[in-house]
Amino acid sequence: MVELIWDPIVATAAILLGSLVAYGLLRIGHKISKPRPTSEKVKTYACGEELKPEETHPDSEQFFSPIRRVFKPFYRYIQPAHTGALNTYLLWVVVGFVIILVIILLTVR
Amino acid sequence: MSFNYTIAMLLIALGFYCLLFKRNLIKLVIGLSVMTDGIHLFLISMGYRTGGIAPIVTGELSSNLPNFASSAVDPLPQALVLTSIVINICITALALSLSIYAYRHYGTLDPSKLRRLRE
Amino acid sequence: MIAHAPILAIVLPLFAAFLMPLVGLLSRRYNVPKACDWFAIATMIGTLLIVADMAPSVWNGQILVYKLGGWSPPWGINLAIDGLSIQMALMIAGLGTLVIIYSAAYMQRETRRDLFYALTLLAITGMMGIVLTGDIFNFYVFLEIMSVSSYALIAFKRDSNAIEAGIKYLFIGSLGTSLILLSITMLYSFVGSLNIADLGAKLAAYRDGALPVPTILIASLALFVTGVMIKVAVVPFHTWLADAFTAAPTAISALLAGPGAVVGIYWVARLPYLPFGLPVGIILVSLGLLSMIVGVLMALTQHDFKRMLAYHVISQKGYMVLGIGLGTLGSVLGAQGGLFHLLNHSTYKCLLFMCAGAVLFRTGSQKFDELGGLGKNMPMTALMFLIGALAISGIPPLNGFVSKYAIYLGGVEAGLPIVTAIAVLVSALTFASFFKAFSSVFLGQRPERLRETQEAPNMMLFPMLVMAVVCIVIGLLPALGFNIVGPAQAAAENSAGYIGHVIGGI
Repeated sequence: MVELIWDPIVATAAILLGSLVAYGLLRIGHKISKPRPTSEKVKTYACGEELKPEETHPDSEQFFSPIRRVFKPFYRYIQPAHTGALNTYLLWVVVGFVIILVIILLTVR
Repeated sequence: MSFNYTIAMLLIALGFYCLLFKRNLIKLVIGLSVMTDGIHLFLISMGYRTGGIAPIVTGELSSNLPNFASSAVDPLPQALVLTSIVINICITALALSLSIYAYRHYGTLDPSKLRRLRE
Repeated sequence: MIAHAPILAIVLPLFAAFLMPLVGLLSRRYNVPKACDWFAIATMIGTLLIVADMAPSVWNGQILVYKLGGWSPPWGINLAIDGLSIQMALMIAGLGTLVIIYSAAYMQRETRRDLFYALTLLAITGMMGIVLTGDIFNFYVFLEIMSVSSYALIAFKRDSNAIEAGIKYLFIGSLGTSLILLSITMLYSFVGSLNIADLGAKLAAYRDGALPVPTILIASLALFVTGVMIKVAVVPFHTWLADAFTAAPTAISALLAGPGAVVGIYWVARLPYLPFGLPVGIILVSLGLLSMIVGVLMALTQHDFKRMLAYHVISQKGYMVLGIGLGTLGSVLGAQGGLFHLLNHSTYKCLLFMCAGAVLFRTGSQKFDELGGLGKNMPMTALMFLIGALAISGIPPLNGFVSKYAIYLGGVEAGLPIVTAIAVLVSALTFASFFKAFSSVFLGQRPERLRETQEAPNMMLFPMLVMAVVCIVIGLLPALGFNIVGPAQAAAENSAGYIGHVIGGI
């Protein structure tokens, strides 16, 4: 029984069937009460104030601020370390080469 | 013979020093060129045989080929170095032309000032 | 079987690249505007047909050995095509064709398109040469061909970002290839041969600790690993990739992220077995884990569309290197997962970059803060982006799920369940970051100045559609992928077979 459900084709057929049923239910619902969107209904609710569309866009750098807080050590040290200076990047390559040399020396000998 | 290898390693180390610590794009290009010259010197010195002759088969040498083969310098590293010199000329030309464009856009040749793309 | 097929697959794009300025001159003289595009597309379709012609005989277990100029190995250069090479060659030819069809539409506002196509076909020649060759110095030459063409292509737009990205890529990449040259030098001085199969045969005595390994071989291996890792762009050698993919024309980002990833992973898959037989598994696993984590965490806070996709490239390459590393620790499913992930990643990463390029082409901006609500204007692009985003996050029934599941199982099989836990966490963070991208660009309110944006041109939608269909089909029928990847992984491990075919069958 488990093999029958876990087969990818059967699972995909089940997903498609479920989404078709959901779409059918949605169409029946629209026939019963037609959707009438006016521009007032579609606008973002801002407690009665006027909002331009540009202001409703979430700021892309602060979007995941909780994740920033969870991974704080990373975002304090490693993100600013990508300074953009070429000499720093070349130094990373040399340091990486030395670390790889040391690891190979220790594992092969 | 080890004199050659020492100089080659010194050139490679100098090239690394230039690439890591110099603050001018032209000096970085020179450092890259010095480093690859060190590698070429290393490669050629490897193929050398003390007291060997040039590996060209002329008329009188073609009669005694095993003797020639044991006394000639290895020609393969020379071919490799020629290929590599040509490749490095292309890279130097491209690097210098990009440096000219960088000077026009940024007004400076300092790679630590080319930092508009960061993080 | 076409005669001389292996060398034709390399020579055809090479000659087309050098004929391209002539075609451009003729097209300007006789006023045939799209001649360069059709010539490039015809070349790539020809290459794809040649590679597809070689594939059935390789999958039957035969290793094709082609001797250049009739000189037999180990004195001459030969091309050797086994299961691993044919997977890589098929990917380069197939995805290269789709990228060139895309760039015919994307670069239509450029005036010197003949130079663009010349450089792109040279880059594809370099990639094809790297995966088909059997000689290590020939590999260095083709690597330089590919690298120098891509340095010029990254700086193609010649604005300040492109020049800066080109300079950084040039210096870091040249350092990498110089390290590979030094490694080849040391290998030649120690062994005396340049043929990969011959090196494998002569270094077989040091495998499994039978003899103590001399220092020059250790130095050579470390230099080679560092050089290859710079090309693959794993942490801490990844710094060039984010800048390069942001500033390049998007067709080139798609080319370097899709087919370009193939050459690095080809050598990572060969490294533990040929030509050195020394254990590098622990380096691959640790670098892979580090790249996965650093890549996805840096991608979460980006505000530039293509830069976020570039950091995800670093993260997904960590998956591939991790899978191959798990393969050396005893897990067959891990190695197959790593190679399968390469197949899937190239497909959906090309698709994602093409969607980003379509948005950039129509709106002129690639920053999240300036876009929004484009789902109403560009429905097909939004749908393709959704398929690509679900594929990269590893959601069934798309292809990313199959390869990531294989890597998860590989982690458990190799006895390192912590690796599986970290991989699942990174998948979740990947999904989060694409959720942000999709909702920032395609959902939400649309700014006033973007009201008139149209759907992407048809010639851009066609390759995106093909790749989306491939994603869905491989997700539904993973056996198709495993038919390609299984022989590849077996061929990578079967170094004795490779050596025997190339040297034994003179």
